[in-house]
Amino acid sequence: MNPFEKIFNYQILSRLEDSGTFMVTSQERSWLKTMLDHPAAADAFSPATLEKLRAILEPDAGMETPEHLLEKAKAAGKPVVHPLLRPLRRAIMRKRAINISYAIKGGRTHKDQPGLPYKLEFSMVKQEWYLLWYHRKNRSLLRTRLYSILSVSEEPIAESDADRILERIPQLLDARRTEAVIDVVPRYNGELSRILYALSCFDKEVTYDEGQDTYSVRLLVPGDEQEYLLSKLRFLGRRVRIREGAYLRRRMLESSTKALERYGIVSACKEEVPKG
Amino acid sequence: MAKESFDKEIQFLRMLALTSGAYSRQQFADRLGISVHTFDKTIRKLKDIVSTVHQQLPMEQGAELADALRFSYYESADPVLLFLFRAKSVKESEGLRISLLLSAMRDETLTVSELLDACCGGTPDGVPYPDEKTVRSDLKYLEEVGVICREPGPRPYRYRIRGELVHELSEEELLDLYDFVDIMANTQVPSVPGYLLRDGLKKQLQRSEAMPFTETFLYKYHYHSRILDEAHLFTLLKAIRNRHKVRFLYFSPKTELSYASKNTNPLFERESKGRWEKVLPLKVVYDHQYGRWYLLANGREGIRKYRMEGMTQIEEDAAVDEAWFEAKMQELEERIRHSWLIDTGRPVTVRARFFHPGVSGPSFVKERVLLQGQWGEIIEEDEVSFIYEITVNGTTEIKPWLRSFGSACEILEPLTLRQEMIDEWKEIQAAYESV
Repeated sequence: MNPFEKIFNYQILSRLEDSGTFMVTSQERSWLKTMLDHPAAADAFSPATLEKLRAILEPDAGMETPEHLLEKAKAAGKPVVHPLLRPLRRAIMRKRAINISYAIKGGRTHKDQPGLPYKLEFSMVKQEWYLLWYHRKNRSLLRTRLYSILSVSEEPIAESDADRILERIPQLLDARRTEAVIDVVPRYNGELSRILYALSCFDKEVTYDEGQDTYSVRLLVPGDEQEYLLSKLRFLGRRVRIREGAYLRRRMLESSTKALERYGIVSACKEEVPKG
Repeated sequence: MAKESFDKEIQFLRMLALTSGAYSRQQFADRLGISVHTFDKTIRKLKDIVSTVHQQLPMEQGAELADALRFSYYESADPVLLFLFRAKSVKESEGLRISLLLSAMRDETLTVSELLDACCGGTPDGVPYPDEKTVRSDLKYLEEVGVICREPGPRPYRYRIRGELVHELSEEELLDLYDFVDIMANTQVPSVPGYLLRDGLKKQLQRSEAMPFTETFLYKYHYHSRILDEAHLFTLLKAIRNRHKVRFLYFSPKTELSYASKNTNPLFERESKGRWEKVLPLKVVYDHQYGRWYLLANGREGIRKYRMEGMTQIEEDAAVDEAWFEAKMQELEERIRHSWLIDTGRPVTVRARFFHPGVSGPSFVKERVLLQGQWGEIIEEDEVSFIYEITVNGTTEIKPWLRSFGSACEILEPLTLRQEMIDEWKEIQAAYESV
């Protein structure tokens, strides 16, 4: 297998696109053939389609990779295809509204909520699918685990109404984003590559101050993802410092203070508080 | 052997993706060990590819490549760095011929002479017509890469494009296929062939008039630069399969310079900064924790570990004896059995108490430990907490993960790790106390 075949060249690709020609190589078919052996395939296709695909790929060989490729620190295998993906992806594509009932924490449920779905999101960290949707009555953005959805059905909505909501969503998302600036502690600059890899999953901008030999990373994080960012920052520990972001700084202080309490260490400032 | 190497582009794009505009041209060039002139040339080439691949986003003159590659999460799940694999250079006339041939075969099977006609018919004025021999060799190449096939039957042979994947499926089935390919390319490794296929299927779906296509899936917290290292993956896997040693110029990611130009200009000869290595490759490891690739190999000093991002100019070398390969493989497998990632240090038992976040509802702490705790086990549990135990090689690799739980995790054993954790929390506390 050679991912740099000349057939993948960008100029060829763009000409084929202009003439509306579909082209697929044996490399891609081999990959697909191997993926069809994954348990997810049975959830993604009807038995008839799966059979058809297998027949089409019959002359091709599978990929010969798995034996010498080892994956480490992979989250335990949960199914990567959920049965609700099919109907929901179609509802989103056709701009249909939904009526949705779902379970929330503490065993309670929300019944028959009017919504407009806009994306399906897979969390690599939790290995879970979520539906991102707009609550038409509360006018808010929600994120619901597909496993928590009890029932969902399509509802009609005027296309102009759907378009109006979909246009507003980016603004609503932007409004919820917060910014933070993280400095790499210069004595750990030797680990820069590792630190930047760990932060590479965020929307970010890196700056370098040559005089101070300091790297700073400006991150834009959606409000509901600050928790994940905090776990990443605890993961990196003493290598990074939050420079801007009062909430994050406070949370790191709280985290370290509480962690030390677990080890029976009560910080000086706390001890000064008179007891009784 | 004039083999096009993408080492420079890979290093270049990785640095661009990771540091996204932190450096000036000069600083960037210095760190890659190239001249500013080479920097400019490379960036021009990459910009050209990006603007051709993403026709919908015409790039303004002088627009920064880093901005163009900047990931906009909610807009598209297209892997921004995939265009690297579109960079193989092809002569203008050859590219034109290949696309004319494939377009001609789009709807019908054709003979060589019919294809030659179609090719000549599509050649713009002023460009010389191709001859039959050239067309035959193009067809041979297209057959080799599995894009077309020769129909059974008597001469003259007829050729057709292998498009069953889209032609035999209904639109609904095609959409299911696209979704499956999208999910698997995003969640499994290797992913590059899947992303290339996804690209082709997407274009096909966008051409459909019956069903307006939109992307609906997003993947959270991807390590975007991970696909760059897949460039070396198949070369290394092939060497392992063939029991061949490999030779490469290695730049440890801890040194600041990560690429040495192979230019003939002596000014650019900085190879001395890297180190030539010759080893027997045994396993390729993908680390999901950081999104990084490693090569584990056997060298003169025993087990050797390399970050794939530091490997350049990889070439296959001599074959080794099968029995020797087996022995080395077994030795490695034994040594990495307890590696959290790739540490081959002494095994140690780590015990930690995790605290449930509250009294009601499912414990997300426990869910996360079960999901990410690899082969570790919960050996004790009550309403407030549970004890997790794991035997790992050394504590360095598991420590960041344990620390990421904050105050929900207390290290019990080994005592050295417990003390290290206390010291780190003290340092972190001190850093934020002075608000």
